[in-house]
Parts: sequence; C-alpha cells; structure tokens
Amino acid sequence: MSRRVDWTVFVALFREEWRLHAELFGGRRFLLFPGLLAALSASAAVGLDATGTTPGEFVAGLHVFALVFGLYSGTAGFAGSDMLENVFGRLTLLLSSSTTLPLSRRRLLGTFLVKDALYYGGLFVLPMAVGIVPLVGASATAPLVVAELWLSLFLAFVAGMVVTVAAIALRTRGVPGWAIVAAAVLVAVAVWTTGGTRVLWHGLVSYDGSVGSAVVLAVSAVAVGSLALAGYDPSYSRPSRTASDRFARLEDALPTDEGGLIAKTLLDLARSSGGVVKPFVSAGILLALVAFLVGVVDSITGIEPSPGIFFGGVLGLTAFTTYNWLTQFDSVEEYLAYPVTVEAVFDAKRTAFVLVGAPTMAVPYLVAVVAFDATRLDALVGAFLLAGYSLYYYGLTVYVAGFSPNEFLFDAIRFGAFTVGVAVALVPTLIVGFVVVPPSAPVAAALGCAGLVFGGVGLALSSRAGPRWGRRYRSGRAESA
Amino acid sequence: MVAIRADGLEKSYGSVDALSGMRFSVSRGELFGFLGPNGAGKTTTIRVLTGQIVPDRGTATVLETDPVAEPIETRRRVGILPEQESPPSFLTPREYFEFVGKVRDLDSDRVTSRVETWADRLGFRSKLDTLHTDLSRGQQQKVMITQAFLHEPDVVFIDEPLANLDPLVQEQVKRFLVAYADDGNAVFVSTHNIDVAADVCTRVGIVADGRLVAERDLADGAEDGDSLLETFLTHVDDVDPRDVPAQMTGQP
Repeated sequence: MSRRVDWTVFVALFREEWRLHAELFGGRRFLLFPGLLAALSASAAVGLDATGTTPGEFVAGLHVFALVFGLYSGTAGFAGSDMLENVFGRLTLLLSSSTTLPLSRRRLLGTFLVKDALYYGGLFVLPMAVGIVPLVGASATAPLVVAELWLSLFLAFVAGMVVTVAAIALRTRGVPGWAIVAAAVLVAVAVWTTGGTRVLWHGLVSYDGSVGSAVVLAVSAVAVGSLALAGYDPSYSRPSRTASDRFARLEDALPTDEGGLIAKTLLDLARSSGGVVKPFVSAGILLALVAFLVGVVDSITGIEPSPGIFFGGVLGLTAFTTYNWLTQFDSVEEYLAYPVTVEAVFDAKRTAFVLVGAPTMAVPYLVAVVAFDATRLDALVGAFLLAGYSLYYYGLTVYVAGFSPNEFLFDAIRFGAFTVGVAVALVPTLIVGFVVVPPSAPVAAALGCAGLVFGGVGLALSSRAGPRWGRRYRSGRAESA
Repeated sequence: MVAIRADGLEKSYGSVDALSGMRFSVSRGELFGFLGPNGAGKTTTIRVLTGQIVPDRGTATVLETDPVAEPIETRRRVGILPEQESPPSFLTPREYFEFVGKVRDLDSDRVTSRVETWADRLGFRSKLDTLHTDLSRGQQQKVMITQAFLHEPDVVFIDEPLANLDPLVQEQVKRFLVAYADDGNAVFVSTHNIDVAADVCTRVGIVADGRLVAERDLADGAEDGDSLLETFLTHVDDVDPRDVPAQMTGQP
C-alpha cells in the first residue's frame, strides 16, 4: 500500500469511527461526551483537592485510567474477541475491507490502531487532561500544562494499547490465552516483589519525569506495537468448537429458570472467550487499581481508609462489568421471536447477575479485607455495603442502559445520569471510609442502613427496568433510544 | 378461513413512515408472498403481526389472537424466522433446540425426534454439537428454519427464507413450504426475491411505501397476464429497466 492509500484508509476509518459513535449514541449528542468527561475530571480534581489529595496523586490516578482505557482499546482493532465481534462486527465495514479490496490486513489493522490512538486520544484523553485546569488556575501557562499532561496521558494510553495488541498477536501465533495471562501475572509479581513498581511507574508517568523518559516510553510503545503487528498472523482463525449437551443439566440444576433463559445466559458466558473467569478478571483489575491507589494515598498522607467500608463501596461497581458480560451474547430482539416477554428476559438477567456477581464480588472483597486487616465490624459493614450497593449499581445500569450497557457507555446523557447515580451512594461512603477509621458502632449502623436502602432502590430500579424497556421495544423506540 | 388479517396498519419511526395503511389477509392453506423492495415495510409488518412492536394505528388478527393485546399468545401459536443476523450464541444447535422447546413448553422427546427429522432434511446432523457461533451462515439459517417449525405452528412468518442456503437445500425448503401450506397451514413469506415468490407462492402481495399496492393470484389455474416481475415494476418503481440506456445494460 502506498502512503496515499494509507492516508485515504486512515481518513475513511476516522470518519467511520465518528459516524459509528454518532449513530450509536444519539447523533451529535455524542459531542457532549468529551465535555462531560472534562467536567467530571475537573470536578474530581476540585473535590480531591478539597480533601487534601495532592495534584501529584490526582495526576497518578488519571494515568491509571488512561492505561486501563488503552488496555481495553487495544482489542478493538482486531475485533477478534467474541464480544467485539458482537459489538463491532456488523458495524465496521472498513475493518473487513481487506477481504474485498487489495489492502493488506496487517497494514489495515496498523492504520486502524493509529486512528484509534488519535481518535480516543483527542476525544477522551484530552478532556481528562483538561481536568487539571482548576488546580493550576486560569494562567497563561495553563494550556502548556494541559498539553504536557495530555502528552503524558496519551503515552500511557498508547502503552496500554500496545500491550493488548502484543497479547493478541501472540494469541494468533498459537500461544494459549492462559499462558499469556499466567505470564502477565508472573511479570506483575516479579515487578512487585523486586521493588520495580516505582521504576515502572516513573517510566509510565512521564509528566513527572524528564523529556528523556517520555521519549523512551514513546519509542518503546512504537517498537512493541510494530513488533506485535509484524508478528500478528492475519490468517489466524479459531477452529470450530464442539460441546457436549449441558443445557438440560444446567437448567435442571437451577432453582428457578422459567423458559431456560438463565441457563442460556450462563452457557453463553461460560463458553465465550475467557469463560466464567472474565467477570473475575474485571473485578480483579478494579481491586488492584483501588488497592494501588489506597497504597499511594497511604504512603503520601499516612491516611489509611477503613478497608471494609472502602472496598465494599467500590467493588460493588463490578456490577456494571458483570452485567455487561451477561448481555454481550444476545439481544432483546432475538427473544422476541419466542413467546417470552421483555420483562421475563430482564428478570432472567437479574437472576444470572446474582449467580455470577455474588462470587465475583465476594472473592476480591475477602482478599481486600484480609490483606488490609479490616476489623470485624468494618468487614461486616463492608459486606452489607457490597451487597446493597452492587444491587443498586446493577439496578441503575439496567434502568438507564437497558440491554446495551457497553454501547450506551459513551452516551453523554445516560453516562451523566449513571455517574450522578453512582456518586450519590459512593462519594459519601468513601469520605466516611477515610474519616472514621475504624468505624464506630453508630457509623457502622448508619452505613449498614445505607446498604439496605440502596439495595432496595436497586431492586426497585431493576424491577421497573423490564417494563420500561419492554414498552420501548414494543413501541419500536428502543433501537434509537 | 382467515389466519392473518392486517387492517389499516400504520407505524412511524420518527419522521419515517414505515407502514401507511397496510391492509391484507391470508387464509389457511395459502403460501403468501410479501414482495417488496428494501425499506418497503415488510419486516415492520411481520414485527407488528407477531406482537414485537405495536402499530400507531390499525388492527391485526393472527389465528384469532390480537398481537397488540396478547403478543405472547400470538407468538406461542406462530413460528417466526427473523431476517436479522443473530448475535453469536455459544449454544450448540442441539442445546438451542432444547432452549426453544423449553420456551415453547414442548415435550423434550418430541423436540428430539423433530430435530432429528429436520437435521436429516436440511443436512446438518453432523453440526448438532458445534457451537452456533462457529457455524457457517448457511448452517445457521438451517438451524433458524428448524426452530421456526419445531412446534408445528399453524402460521409461520418467514423473512427471506432462502438466504445463504445452497441451491440443493433451497429446493428442499421450497418444496417443504409448499407442502406445509397444502396441509392447511398459512405460510407468510417476506422476500425481495421475485423468482422465489413466483416459484412457490399461491398468492403475492406487492408492498411499497408501507402499504400493499397490488396482489397477484399465482395458484394453479390463475389467469396468466404480465409476469410477476412486470407487475412488480409497474407498482413499485416508475422506472422500467427496459427503458435504461443500452450502454448501462451492456447490450448492443
């Protein structure tokens, strides 16, 4: 492919990405999303500053977000996972054009990833960087500070992308998924135990370092990305898989499963890429991030939160990722060919959520309270919060986003409603978790009640979500909602 | 005896009028072809008649049920083969049919025997234990055809029945549809393939701009006149392809 063709493909991919989002997320309403991100980032900066958090900690948190976002975005270009085939497979025409046009698939993917890096770097990472403005003030140097922070965040984002791309490239060369995960865990443990975390961190957060460290990170990212693309096997395709009949056995084992809807959801989850481990990985990543941030705050300020309250409140957020996994492999429209109501489909998802979500949240929570040495009362209150808040976050997600939490994530209005809903429960809890250490009996009782109340609200929201979305689907408005 | 009746159905999506007074009926024993170009309102009509969406105006009756008031009862009695591509399912066809049997409250032994019959008829017995997501599109279509007939419904709504099927299986499906209608069932076939409609249907309704603009009886002994293609072009588009300049058709 010539450079001219590369440029043509790049522009077309960029335009397609924009149209994809504009179509999915309410036309030009999608433009609000970067503004909302900037507002959220700035609000977080102001709020954290008021609670004594330093600008350095705030910047560190932003880099963690950028890195994780990059890790996730790296999968998009390859559309190789089952979830991404579902989300993007029917929507991206250009990504599959190497089968119909004289274009190299490897080069097309490279162009796609460059496009993704610039697209998300502009629309999502830049608003994150703008959040620092309240901390530096509206001075003449503010644009320069924002630009430096953006560059640093962008490099962290790209680093995350190339790590994922490298893992996928290895996968196409026949390296088993479990071996890649095991290697990643081993590397993480080795870095942790040898004290390499600080070195790694300084390498990743070039905002605090020298120009040289930024150049090293940029060159490394380009080198790893290029190697990964060179190693990627475009002809890789998964052999067709067979399975023994498990539906009836699973359906019989469930205490309730009207119409087999729960069994179908659980089998889809278990057999898709990553199996039932996926929700645990999502929860594990959240646990690791929160534990890391708690460690950073503790090392700088000497303040350590009540681990039960803190982790109980935060880990409930895995309700969103768990529900997301449970809805990736079917659609409401699919069920409308059968004599089942939309309400029944939502009810089945809720039961599946409880079955999958309970262990998904309980395991990392237990790890956290043991690792951070929570008191019994703190651990008990945290467990109440975890159960109640997760049900609340679940109800909020289902009510706001219906059957498509992933697709609606970038809709500014829905995301805003979801964020406010989460903040109402989470922010006061986190403040209490930091201020009252360990929790007194009255505080514990109040938080326990909060867990019950929010759990009740979540139950009510999830019960209303079925009829709400049922009416939308029957009116034909759900697809464009 | 009328099995399907649509009376003045109207449905809009925002500023787009998908249905603008759709009116027709289909009797038992008929293989009714619903013929129209893309965007004519065919799929919306099926979705209204099967209770998936409600019309803005008009009424519908399917096997003496009202799909607006009692959508579940309507869908219990009919079979539906939707056109839209399904998301990837990780059930095998064997498990998927168990799921359909469970949803439709069918006896599991009956499901097993009917699946065997259909697997032999359409030639996918060797794929019964392969994950649905790993099947070819043609094999997936065979699975979807089977689920539509699994409960032997009196009325079947089929959107593009022959999509992705090889010619041999297309012939088998066409023959089956004719025989199924001959047994006193109503088969409603939505298609934009004129040859398919002309080949198997006893009657054809031509749809354009959200309403039925013409009907043709194609049953044995029906009066011959213009070809179905000519009738279709007359009602659907003012442009007759025979008027297209020769250089565009490649003819001298």
